[in-house]
Amino acid sequence: MKAEYSPIDRASSVPLILLLRSGVAWLALSGVLGLVAAAQLISPHFLDSWSFTTYGRVTALAETSFVYGWLANAGVALALWSLGRLSGEPLRGQGWALGGWLFWNLGVLAALVGIVHGDSTGFTLLGLPRYVHLVLLFSYAALAVPGILAWSGRQRKISYASQWYAVAALFLFPWILSVVHVTLFAWPARGVLQPIIAGWYAQCAWTLWIAPLVLSVAYFVVPKETGKVLPSYEFASLGFWTLIFVGGLTGGRHLIGGPVPAWIPALAVVSCALLLFHTFIVFLNLRGAVFARGVASRLISIGLAAYILGALVDAVTSFHSVAEHTQFTYFDTLQQQLALYAGASTVLFGGIYFALPRITGNLWTSAGLVRAHVGATVVGLLLLLISLGGAYYVQSQGLLDAKVSFATITAQTRPWLLGAFYAQAILLVGNIALLVNLLASACWITDFSAPATFNPAPALETSAT
Amino acid sequence: MSQKPDNDPRLDQAAASDDAVLALHEKAIGEHPDNGARYRLLPIFILFTLSGLILFAGTYLNRYAAHYSPLVFNENGKPSTGEVVVKIDPVALGKKQFEAVCITCHQATGMGVAGIYPPLAGSEWVNGPSKRLIEIVLYGLKGEVHVESHVYSAAAMPVFGQVAGSAYNWNDDRIAAVLTYVRQEWGNKSGPISADEVSAVRKSMGDHKEMSEDVLMASK
Repeated sequence: MKAEYSPIDRASSVPLILLLRSGVAWLALSGVLGLVAAAQLISPHFLDSWSFTTYGRVTALAETSFVYGWLANAGVALALWSLGRLSGEPLRGQGWALGGWLFWNLGVLAALVGIVHGDSTGFTLLGLPRYVHLVLLFSYAALAVPGILAWSGRQRKISYASQWYAVAALFLFPWILSVVHVTLFAWPARGVLQPIIAGWYAQCAWTLWIAPLVLSVAYFVVPKETGKVLPSYEFASLGFWTLIFVGGLTGGRHLIGGPVPAWIPALAVVSCALLLFHTFIVFLNLRGAVFARGVASRLISIGLAAYILGALVDAVTSFHSVAEHTQFTYFDTLQQQLALYAGASTVLFGGIYFALPRITGNLWTSAGLVRAHVGATVVGLLLLLISLGGAYYVQSQGLLDAKVSFATITAQTRPWLLGAFYAQAILLVGNIALLVNLLASACWITDFSAPATFNPAPALETSAT
Repeated sequence: MSQKPDNDPRLDQAAASDDAVLALHEKAIGEHPDNGARYRLLPIFILFTLSGLILFAGTYLNRYAAHYSPLVFNENGKPSTGEVVVKIDPVALGKKQFEAVCITCHQATGMGVAGIYPPLAGSEWVNGPSKRLIEIVLYGLKGEVHVESHVYSAAAMPVFGQVAGSAYNWNDDRIAAVLTYVRQEWGNKSGPISADEVSAVRKSMGDHKEMSEDVLMASK
């Protein structure tokens, strides 16, 4: 039995720490930008004197920095880490990862500069200006090299769920980005095909890229912390393939009532329902996370709860009669935050808290900052989701009543948006705590934190069933 | 060895090694769904859940995907089958019917043949109440009939309607069309007759026997 901490981790630490640090830095930046955008919803004249601080660009900046800065860096770091550990060897091809890290982050930086300059594409989750697409494509491929090598060189013939999801995410993102680049930018499709492709991309970025990254973390950390074989694990592969086959077909969800052939939204409705099967398997497998005691398990169980809730909400709101009430309201924002923040980010937080001491060999520097971050995340998320829910309710009631003027609706949603603003502020405070703690804990220059004492890992209990 | 307390937030202790995670999950995949004689319910439940979702998916797509037509944008719509519904001009249809059949006796001029076939042009029967006219064509006419105080008795009007003993079995649309035609041709200026009027008469009278002048005059 290998020790819980080994020179293997230390040998792979440089690219992983760089990815994690830049990811959390982008997260903090996106929090600041998100706060500015939230403030502009309350007082529209805030920072409206310069074109680059207007609402449209600030939200595009916040979203790009969040998805391509935070989720991508942290998700890929944890995927590489778990693939490396499960292969039982130090990561090979780390030079690729270093190069990939450098050019990926330069690409994200260039994207943000481009958006400031007004080059955003205007598509959801794809604000990236067209000239950074190829940089991101190739740097992501380089980042994936150590992961693929670890996968192909694994010692066991049969692989584990965490590996499937990680490898799927490594392979699928280049596919969806290249497809969307060719069909929307290089040789743009015309007319109504454009929103169809953009909707397909936005949904695939979630179901085929971010969700697999997140699930690979959860499938790795949960049994490590619970010390039990995942219940009903024999169905995990069904859940995986359901996501891979059906996930890409849910793109038409945002096009209901739009000028697209009726079969596209109908297929999306059906796919959202079928995806519930995947969600159900994830629930069956990972439900033990709730009973584990670590910081990581606590965050991951919150994240998984949000993931499951988000899938249910997606399935319900994909129906035409429900979408009539939720489309074009704050409910869309709510759904996005439920997926990308409450679902994805908290699981990644959990993964980072679990992984970092193993990567550095040191404890996290400050227990207080860990508690502050977890507390702020929980409080901030609850406040954010409740506020957006309230804003949605008030807004949809008003929009459906022809007698209520638009100005009245805006005035009525204001207190709820103020709540969302405070929620963003709380989340930002938490994320700055994470950033400070991460920089202090994973710093080679002032390596002052105590070396971690890892308890020997006991043998895994087989499940009772 | 000194154990770190489990509740230090600076380090989550692992409860299993990577090797153990891999080995035991590999074993879990190979397990048989039934454990000895005790059958587990979960696989059946999962099978039914998946089947139910697929059933829903198929039903929904069949109902709302508009047969995957690229031209249907309303999820409740159905694609066009290529059939075009054309509104037929009753006068044109009636003219066609008249020239195929009626013209033999009543002549192209609508004047008939003196003493044998009664005229339609200017006839008080043609331009009179529509019910009577419908009855003549539906059930035929036998015996003497007076038109503009001339007597015609040598021939009989055949049964045209979809009634017992019909010679032609024309549907109500055709009868309405031909009557509409004769009521506006040769200087006649009476209004059109609809298929609904014809079917109303046919339904109220049932399988009536052939008409005679007396019966017609009695009916209103």
